[in-house]
Amino acid sequence: MIELRAVTVTIAGKTLLSIPTLSFEAGVRYGIIGENGSGKTTLLRILAGTLLPITGSIHGINRQTIRYLPQAPYAFNLSVRRNVAMALPGLENAQELVDRALRRVGMEALAEKRGNRLSGGEAQRMSLARVLLTPCEVLLLDEPTSATDIRGMDQVEQVLKDYIQETGCTLIFSTHSPAQALRLADRVVYLEQGQVVETGPAEQVLRHPRDDRTCNFLRHWQLDVNNHTV
Amino acid sequence: MELIRRLLDLLFGADPELRQIIAVTLRMSSLSTLISTLIGVPLGILLGENDFKAKGLVTRVVTTLMGLPPVVAGLIVFLILSRSGPLGSLRLLYSVTAMVIAQVVLITPIIIGLTSNLVSLRAASINETCAGLGINGSKRLWYTLLECRIPFISTMLAGFGRAIAEVGAVQMVGGNIQFKTRVMTTAIMMQTNMGQFEFAIALGVVLLMLSFVINSLVYRVQEWDNRD
Repeated sequence: MIELRAVTVTIAGKTLLSIPTLSFEAGVRYGIIGENGSGKTTLLRILAGTLLPITGSIHGINRQTIRYLPQAPYAFNLSVRRNVAMALPGLENAQELVDRALRRVGMEALAEKRGNRLSGGEAQRMSLARVLLTPCEVLLLDEPTSATDIRGMDQVEQVLKDYIQETGCTLIFSTHSPAQALRLADRVVYLEQGQVVETGPAEQVLRHPRDDRTCNFLRHWQLDVNNHTV
Repeated sequence: MELIRRLLDLLFGADPELRQIIAVTLRMSSLSTLISTLIGVPLGILLGENDFKAKGLVTRVVTTLMGLPPVVAGLIVFLILSRSGPLGSLRLLYSVTAMVIAQVVLITPIIIGLTSNLVSLRAASINETCAGLGINGSKRLWYTLLECRIPFISTMLAGFGRAIAEVGAVQMVGGNIQFKTRVMTTAIMMQTNMGQFEFAIALGVVLLMLSFVINSLVYRVQEWDNRD
């Protein structure tokens, strides 16, 4: 179990995140929802270790077993195949793993295209293939479908479900879409202005929110949870 | 017509002095560019990749040194290498080595500054992506270098362009000695002052041709890199 205790992140005098306590159970899928600037990316960054909290501590995390997909992953000026293979040092079956990862996200036809020539959606799928290349214990994804179209989104969500089923990893992802959180997450954390407003099972938080701020956010997004659409 | 004939004679004839001048120029510029690259690229990467307290100050110093007037660089190196200077005992003044040192002083800040800009534009995103994949240390640095490979070549050639066209510093520390430290720029200046315009123009043509070849190389490399 990953546990955050009294974590505060302050940059240039502004508090981006202030969490007295928050925990993530192993093998559970968590959706972090909230508006722009609510602290979703900051939370994922401190979990990934790319940002250090000013105060507080994070327990139960082994950074060697984490894979993290940032909101704007870098697509190198190398072929898609080499971009995906970069996280695989000297494995005998590297080629096979890369081909499989590319097939998973429907990118096999673009294997020789340069990473920096891909469209936003293609780059996002390539980055996902790269991050899912090997099994991990904790998968952190920062808005993994923000640049993909509806068809691509369905594909990515299916890929994630398959990967989680295969590996049994903990998934923590951020999204603007409550509907996506409902489709993918077991539990939801709603953030507002760097603070955890509400957390609980996805169905409960998204269909029957207890806090007025969560209600307001869901109303704002005009969520039709009954139809599972944005 | 006579001028053109004499120019062609100088360019394609067997003038030993012209060949010597071109050879010294190329040797000096290549060596100073190589040394500046070896010093400047790692320092530029360090500056571009890392955030530290004095980064703003260091960046301002580097930017200032990028515009260092060649005669000031020449003066500094002259004072260091002159007999009463700290390295006077090495007797390097008025040698190609002294000219290379002066050019390294001039070019290294340019390489550091350009490299730092290149890396800082990409560093945050590359570092975050690599961290997310468990890629750290030397392997991450390798990917940063690999990603900047083409701009690095352009940076190096920009340094070479500065070296080959420089006149003030090499004149001061090299002394423009015939068959020893005379390079194209100092020779052009001298020949112009002496009224020997054909020789000066011939050297100018060679300098322009070299510049054209270098720019063509940069263009081809970029074109190759932009292929699909």
